[in-house]
Amino acid sequence: MKRSWLILIPLSLLIGCAPSRTAREDEAGGRVSLTYWSATNAQELEFANEVAAEWNRLHPEVQVRVEPVPAGQSSEEVILASIASGTTPDIYSNVFPGALADLQDAESVVQLDAFPDFLEVMRERMPPEVLEQYRSSDQHYYQVAWKSNPVMVLYNTRMLREAGVESLPATYSEFLDAAARVTRDRDGDGQVDQWMATIDYYPIWYKRLFDYYPLYLAAGGTALFQGRRVVFGNEQSLAAFRFLRECFARGYVPVQTFQGDVFLDGRVAAKFTGPYSISHLERYRAADFEYGYGPIPRPDGAAGRPASYADPKSIVIFKTCRHPREAWEFVKFVISKQNDLRLLELTSQLPIRKGLLEDEAYAAYFERNPRMVQFAEQLMTARSIDSIAELKEVFDIIAQEVEESAVFGFKPPEQAVHDAAGRSQQILDVE
Amino acid sequence: MQPGEANKFSMLSKPAAAWKRFRRIFPRRGESAQKDRAGYLMTFPYVLHVIVFLGYPLAFAFVLIFHRWNVYTPMKWVGLGNVKLLAGDPLVWRALANTLYFLLIHIPLQLALALGLAELLNRKLRGRNFFRASYFLPFVISGVVVTILWQQLYATETGLINVLLQRLGLPKVGWLTDPRVAMPAIAIMATWKNVGLYVVLFLVGLQAIPARLYEAAELDGASEWQKFRRITVPLLNPTIMLVLVLSTIGGFSLFIEPYVMTGGGPAGSTLSGILYLYKQAFTFSKMGYASTIGFFWALIIFTVVLLQRRFVEKEAVE
Repeated sequence: MKRSWLILIPLSLLIGCAPSRTAREDEAGGRVSLTYWSATNAQELEFANEVAAEWNRLHPEVQVRVEPVPAGQSSEEVILASIASGTTPDIYSNVFPGALADLQDAESVVQLDAFPDFLEVMRERMPPEVLEQYRSSDQHYYQVAWKSNPVMVLYNTRMLREAGVESLPATYSEFLDAAARVTRDRDGDGQVDQWMATIDYYPIWYKRLFDYYPLYLAAGGTALFQGRRVVFGNEQSLAAFRFLRECFARGYVPVQTFQGDVFLDGRVAAKFTGPYSISHLERYRAADFEYGYGPIPRPDGAAGRPASYADPKSIVIFKTCRHPREAWEFVKFVISKQNDLRLLELTSQLPIRKGLLEDEAYAAYFERNPRMVQFAEQLMTARSIDSIAELKEVFDIIAQEVEESAVFGFKPPEQAVHDAAGRSQQILDVE
Repeated sequence: MQPGEANKFSMLSKPAAAWKRFRRIFPRRGESAQKDRAGYLMTFPYVLHVIVFLGYPLAFAFVLIFHRWNVYTPMKWVGLGNVKLLAGDPLVWRALANTLYFLLIHIPLQLALALGLAELLNRKLRGRNFFRASYFLPFVISGVVVTILWQQLYATETGLINVLLQRLGLPKVGWLTDPRVAMPAIAIMATWKNVGLYVVLFLVGLQAIPARLYEAAELDGASEWQKFRRITVPLLNPTIMLVLVLSTIGGFSLFIEPYVMTGGGPAGSTLSGILYLYKQAFTFSKMGYASTIGFFWALIIFTVVLLQRRFVEKEAVE
């Protein structure tokens, strides 16, 4: 999700000038044509093509054409460029919920709860508390919560076992105890060369979605904002900052930079990641490399199922769509039970659907892919992200404060949390 | 245009007066007028280029100072809101302090190194042309490529520099991860990248100094240092001034190095003004505030260059 508006204007021109069949041309024969932009990775594109082909076979009167989202530094940039140039597709399926506020500000997306069956479909798909996370501040829905890659902690279980750690850590104490055993000087040159975990603290806003934010949620935090009021200057944030500070201060997480994959190299035993790492590990790991996923560490004594960040993606229908009703019917087809199974099989990404592990339709998949079970279990307690136009700026501030406090210890965590909340509130007040 | 029509035109409406001015520029007949017209036509593409790609964006950026605009929603008038925001934004001042720190290391280092190398390369050395080309090479390599290369060299665990330090029995340095070291490390890299250009400029300056001045000084028994101090430096003053101004403007434009290597970290120690501007514009979509930072930065550069000219040139005269 790297951001670069620098390419926005040329991108707008490119998108604007791209030859494209218009809906009018297709509709000359009485046929409705819809354009569906999918993510560009091969697996998702294959899924989109397969679903569209099946839909087109079943609905000859409404034909869907799949296009990968045009190239750009990030899909959000491309979408905003297409809004600026008036060339949005009818349907787009890779929206970061945190960026939805931008799309709403531009008045570019269709209000989905205007469709009479929207709430019924969504309530059947997910519990009300999950659905609620995707409701916009005006109390309406503009996105279909579609898929998720819950963040968990990936461990090198062999390294843990060799260090005498028998079970995967679940609490701060367990994690720090394990870290004390794992972190050591392997070659005896007087310098530590094996660490518990790696955290990329490079001060880029979205990186904090994969460490600070899951820790905040695991500590019991919920929304970051109430309306235009910042509420993350709280105990849960403090717990996350303190934990990160402990990790860096005790040297369990290295401050230094490396080249290559230090997790696969066996130099660090843990990192925060999602289910997408499975295919990478399976492809590149050594034969004796063992791994497993554990929950995001949380304060000692915390009760209930551990929470995390869902890293979700949603589907939207753009207002430029001339046939929103047909588009909604297609979206319902995309998120149907059988297509959710295809999503799992082709992309290893989890549909945001309740009862995935209990449903017979998915049983065979989870039997074949036991590592995905943990992520499916995490799914219903994983949370989305607040949709607010200033989200990137707020997370940029959090990134700066994490660096100042947790990584370098220039200020105590209490001060860092206070400053992060205060500076963020100032930005929200100015806007 | 007939003589005596001026008064009549001055009484006419604005469009008529504008037509009159247009006709002054593009007269109907006459050999000289035809030549002028040809000249205007030939310069027209460049003038158009300047208007479209410089004049208009500059004027638009100035208008943006007074607006809030995220590109995809209509502009909103905020008066001096962006200026007030800038005045109270600690990160702008942090970026300014960082940039001045960078300049403090980079400019003296650049001047000394470029002048020293130019002095050496101005002598009759074996392989002189090879060295001249070698020093100039980094300047023509893409900034991003150079930055990525140095990022590898600076890597704490596996970087070549730390490997060499360890072989010498010295401790590893967190070149890009230690807030005290990161900006000097970037300044060293930027100096390495740009020094070739300034070596060439100094070489041109050195070759313009008449050899008879050095010969006369030698006859008077002047040492090498005295010749350098009393002849080379004063006569190179215009080149030194040029290098100083170019280095200063280049230093204030510091962007690629922190953007690629550190993202402005560690702990904000390499956040430069242009990087901060870039984040405001292209990460947070705050075009109005970014324009305000841009104009503020231009004002700072203008002031610093003006001060340099005033003091350095004055010193030269004295």
